[in-house]
Amino acid sequence: MTLRLGPGEAARFGRGSTTAPVELRLDDPAISRLAGEIRVVDDHWQLTNHSTTHSYLVENPEGAGEYLRVPPRRVGAPIPFEFSRVVLPTRGDVTVSFQVFAPDHLYLDPDAMGGPWGNSTVTAYSLNETATYFLVLVALCEPRLRDQSRVAVPTTPRIVERLGGHLAGGVLTARAVSSHIDYLAEEKLRIGGPDTHEPGQGDRRNGKREEIVGLALRFGLVREEHLALLPPLTGAGGRERQAAR
Amino acid sequence: MRPPHALWDSADGDGTELLPPGSRVGDWVVTGPIGAGGWSTVYAARPAGSRPGRARVALKVMPTAGLAPLQARRIVESARREVELGRGAGHPRLIGLLESFVLTSPDRPSLEGAIVLVMERAAGSLRELVDAGAHEVDRGRLVAGICEGLAHLHRSGWVHADLKPENVLLGEDRSVKLSDFGLATELTGTHGHVPPLGTLDYFPPERWRAPLGELGVRVRPTADIWALGIIIHEVFAYGGSPFPGATPMARGAAVQEYGQGRAPLRMDQAVPPFWRALTADCLAPTHEARAPHTAESLLVRIAAHREAPGAGRRGARARAAVLATALYGIAGATLSSDAVRAGPPAPPDRAGAAPPRTVQVYNAERDCRGRADRAPRCSLGLAIDPVRPYTAENVVPTRVWHGDVLGTDCQVRDGETIIDEEDRRSTRWFRVRLPSGPEPRTAWLPAVRAKERPALPECP
Repeated sequence: MTLRLGPGEAARFGRGSTTAPVELRLDDPAISRLAGEIRVVDDHWQLTNHSTTHSYLVENPEGAGEYLRVPPRRVGAPIPFEFSRVVLPTRGDVTVSFQVFAPDHLYLDPDAMGGPWGNSTVTAYSLNETATYFLVLVALCEPRLRDQSRVAVPTTPRIVERLGGHLAGGVLTARAVSSHIDYLAEEKLRIGGPDTHEPGQGDRRNGKREEIVGLALRFGLVREEHLALLPPLTGAGGRERQAAR
Repeated sequence: MRPPHALWDSADGDGTELLPPGSRVGDWVVTGPIGAGGWSTVYAARPAGSRPGRARVALKVMPTAGLAPLQARRIVESARREVELGRGAGHPRLIGLLESFVLTSPDRPSLEGAIVLVMERAAGSLRELVDAGAHEVDRGRLVAGICEGLAHLHRSGWVHADLKPENVLLGEDRSVKLSDFGLATELTGTHGHVPPLGTLDYFPPERWRAPLGELGVRVRPTADIWALGIIIHEVFAYGGSPFPGATPMARGAAVQEYGQGRAPLRMDQAVPPFWRALTADCLAPTHEARAPHTAESLLVRIAAHREAPGAGRRGARARAAVLATALYGIAGATLSSDAVRAGPPAPPDRAGAAPPRTVQVYNAERDCRGRADRAPRCSLGLAIDPVRPYTAENVVPTRVWHGDVLGTDCQVRDGETIIDEEDRRSTRWFRVRLPSGPEPRTAWLPAVRAKERPALPECP
């Protein structure tokens, strides 16, 4: 299940009961009825730990082991990650966890001329250039950035192949690539509005890729300099292409 | 736009090179920096040599050298919007664009190919005025000026899309001029499209979740009205936003909470009641709720408030009243000044009455005094009855302009109190004759609308 929270909204999580209702049910006997609460504040979120005995971990799955420990009874600990996995301890070896995305983080424009930014005109769809979704986006845009021509947008297997072994966090599966593309389309660029998307339609998916690439290039979200983020091209074909530029 | 201290003080190698005073740019000579925006630097300049025309201009220099083609295209696109709007929508409330050219600068490679817009130069921005406190300023007049500019833009089919105090410039006489049309877009149908750029503090709630489409983000004129609401609040609340938060992102979150109906609008008590009501309408949470409050309709309300007797004290009543200067949509005859001036002296009404006298119409708005084009926004109204409230129902269809000479035969000294834009007040009214046209044949001119005080008998 997925909950969508706007600024100021909160969701409780835990085992739940009629006297302690929760929005997110975590079915494990070791978890309290009301285990905690997340609340959206500004562009990030806060975690309240209702447990009197257990710390919760908040991991950044893209952060190479980066995590926060939120101690028992802590109220409103601010979480700085765009992607988080909240991990609750259980009696067994298997932990219970859920993910929280905070897609509204803002990044300053690279070409903004320094100085105070509060009143300046900024890009309203800013992307984290260190995130995996950005790497996937650059890989999607790569053929057009290199050739400046309307060649086809790479397929998911091509992306997996192109980025293979390049990620700090391990291998990138085809499924992960697809969910990064969905995240870009739905949460970052909000292509065509949140309501019109119908998942699971093959041809629609391809249309979505084309659209993402078109927008990212047209509005300068991905630029020539970002090609440096990708692993070097291998094979004679690739080299020739680069030399031909 | 902000002062370019950082750029001026240090050559920190971020690719921006500031032109020193004395630099020649096309036919112009830079006299100093004014400010720096996202991709541009604005300089004060004067004509090189004895070029005729304007002595003080602003040069907006947008460098394109060293940029990737896609980035350069964004800048060209932004300049294109400014030039297109400057060509089609000249108005006293918009900064005028004098010319634009592409710079060839062999000795400064970083400026080779830069796009230069030569613009009318202002004395400062509303941001500077708001930051300085703006105590002594007629803030209502400032807001009315912004509204006039917006009404003109919207009437011409454009959306500004980046309205903020930085982009509201002020002339030496504090006249308002909207500027920076780099994001302005011409409406196609009900929408225009802008690149995914903007200033967070002035985004309406719907903009925060707006999808990015092939042409950019869709914007409607109501987005400008929202920004106007934020500006009015800032003007009266000494720069404070109506939305709480320490950063633009925090305030943006508050805007979304308000837009989703989870938080009320909490305006600063420093905003006077009339302006609170107006701001609340500009800040209606949805496009649909904001749509009835067009710049034009806001302008009518502001004008009515400013003309209404005891403006400020009787806010509720002032809202219902409609001021003369704003009623330019009205159907009916307008008085031709030639016809009036050339008209024969009217015969005395009654045997033995004093010889005919005249009064010349005076407009307290300085802008309107210098022009002879009988612009609707510079027109003034005449009352049907000087002892009834001066509201829309009590105004004759005929309009008059500064400089018109009207025949008058008598006066009342104890009519409704009228306060003009310069805060002069009077209860005196002149009965003036109208040229042939729809009934009635006479109407009443408030004495604050004339300089003369001719010796006139009291009207019966």
